[in-house]
Amino acid sequence: MTQLVPHIFNGLTLGLLFALIALGFMLIVGVMEVINLAHGSLFALGAYFALTIIGVDPIADTGLGQWWLSLPLVSRYVVALFVAPVVTGLIGMLLELCLRRTYGRAPLYGLLLTFGAGIVIEETIRLTWGTGEQNLTIPDAINGATFFIGSIFSKYKFFAAGFSILAIIGVWLFLEKTPYGAIIKAGAHDSEMVRALGYDLSKLRLLVFGFGASLAGLAGIVMVPIWGLRPHVGIDVVIPAFLIIALGGVGSFGGAVIAAILVGLTVGITGAYASAWSMMSMYILLIIVLGFRSRGLFGRASALEN
Amino acid sequence: MMTLSNISARSNQWITPNIAIMAVFLFTAPFWLTAVGLYDYIGLEIVIWLIYAMGFNLLFGYTGLHSFGHGAYLGVGAYAFGLFQHEVAVSLWGGLFAAVAAAGIAGLFVGLFLSHRRGLYYALLTIAFGQIFWFSAIKLRGITGGEDGLLNIPRPELNLLVTSIDLNNNVALYYFAAIILFILILFLWRLVHSPFGRILQAIRQNEMRASFAGYEVWRFKLAAFTISAMFAGMAGGLFSMAQQSAYPDVMAVHQSGLIVMMVLIGGGLVSFWGPVFGVILYYVARDILGGITEAWLLWYGLMFVLMVMFRPEGIAGVIHTLNQRFSKRPATQKAQVT
Repeated sequence: MTQLVPHIFNGLTLGLLFALIALGFMLIVGVMEVINLAHGSLFALGAYFALTIIGVDPIADTGLGQWWLSLPLVSRYVVALFVAPVVTGLIGMLLELCLRRTYGRAPLYGLLLTFGAGIVIEETIRLTWGTGEQNLTIPDAINGATFFIGSIFSKYKFFAAGFSILAIIGVWLFLEKTPYGAIIKAGAHDSEMVRALGYDLSKLRLLVFGFGASLAGLAGIVMVPIWGLRPHVGIDVVIPAFLIIALGGVGSFGGAVIAAILVGLTVGITGAYASAWSMMSMYILLIIVLGFRSRGLFGRASALEN
Repeated sequence: MMTLSNISARSNQWITPNIAIMAVFLFTAPFWLTAVGLYDYIGLEIVIWLIYAMGFNLLFGYTGLHSFGHGAYLGVGAYAFGLFQHEVAVSLWGGLFAAVAAAGIAGLFVGLFLSHRRGLYYALLTIAFGQIFWFSAIKLRGITGGEDGLLNIPRPELNLLVTSIDLNNNVALYYFAAIILFILILFLWRLVHSPFGRILQAIRQNEMRASFAGYEVWRFKLAAFTISAMFAGMAGGLFSMAQQSAYPDVMAVHQSGLIVMMVLIGGGLVSFWGPVFGVILYYVARDILGGITEAWLLWYGLMFVLMVMFRPEGIAGVIHTLNQRFSKRPATQKAQVT
């Protein structure tokens, strides 16, 4: 049992990271009932933007670039952590403008459009940053190893897990405690009424999609030092995100977080016994859960079922 | 919006003009493929993928069930064919039977889990099962050969009554696959216009109404899924002959997404013939665009996005609209044969 403790701990951190990945996906699917299959590509895009912001390769030789590179890595990293998600969010807004033509049609079209957009983004990444695997440099303060409950863990995992918790709380506070959150949720519930009350729903959707995309980008920056950065990292991300939402139930914030931690624990504990099969265990978990509860753990009825 | 019911009305004919045109193109292809700048192998690939796509569209377009993990059954068919050649006997019919049966059993098993689900959850479960097959193919190294796959799969001879034909020649294999495709098209054409096919379309339009009409909807969904998995298995068996190997790549979720893109761009949602346009366009685009630029998938993806935005009824839908505009016949007659 004591050997299992580090695996459970690993699973918990993994679960928190999964929750971070699923956050933006959940926001878009919960509020707009669009399954954003470009989520993974936006995730990768955020990380690549951060790569460019930290290293400023295109203008590294100019005076401005030299000045920027002379700054300590920590400050460049923090700037990237804020700027890259914003840029990713802008790309997300562009995608939302394209998506408008699919509103009012079957949910399949939104899903297909974002699938195509994901391919386009991925190929653009290949053209811009090359196909090889790259490294996102991280500050020394969060690099290296540390001892915890008798085993070695990387400091970065603690940072990433803590960051996930902050992001989850932040999004939750935004949705539950601010008037914007109330309008967004009302828009998901009864869009006609929200429009009748004088709120600009199309602007709202634009902002929600942008916000969801920037969360994807943020997750990308935090995750790639662990998972590695390659153009097709997106597909490894979007499927777990999709799976977590279905497991937790569409439209349930708490459900998604619990499902993410459940998936993390499943993968972590399977990893202890059969490491080769650890990633597969989450699919089996999904099949078992959906076998008994067709709407996931905490799901409510949704237009996506039709 | 245009749907399948707009175009294909009930047809009692065995051979329609479109089937005849298809047959002419199919069986003359080796004579003009090189003349238009293509090659024999691409014809073979297109025919194999057509078997896969036509079967897939029974599920996707006709029944309205969105499977995003269909590559799994193609892969199962390919492995079953290869394993049969390696472990049992070098036999064409035995191998193809094994491919179809294995994919059918896999499809039946998965379909049992799926058939009570709808919409998003249906799509998601197909992905989950597809991933399980894909992972298993990579990890069960002893059976499947891992990431490299099964190599050196022979192309067995085709034994007819008096003579035997060597299928190592790509043109010979092309004709063999084309004949299978043609038979399967006739079968599908009858199937979608049979009462069974009409019920599948009723399920697509409104599943609840179909169940209120007294049909046990899940049985029909299960049957559609199994049949389309068997088509994928046949395509997989032929594909492992064409490639002389079977590998996990075809089972990845990316590949399963590509078949959805092909069918949708072609117009599978509105026409029986949609997958034909889609598959041909994909392979020709891959070869022509791929010859010009390495990032051909970028342009294909862009075209797909524009298609979903502006012409979700696909190429077949555009052709239908043009036909309607240029012919002066009343709409009821036009709907007869498509």
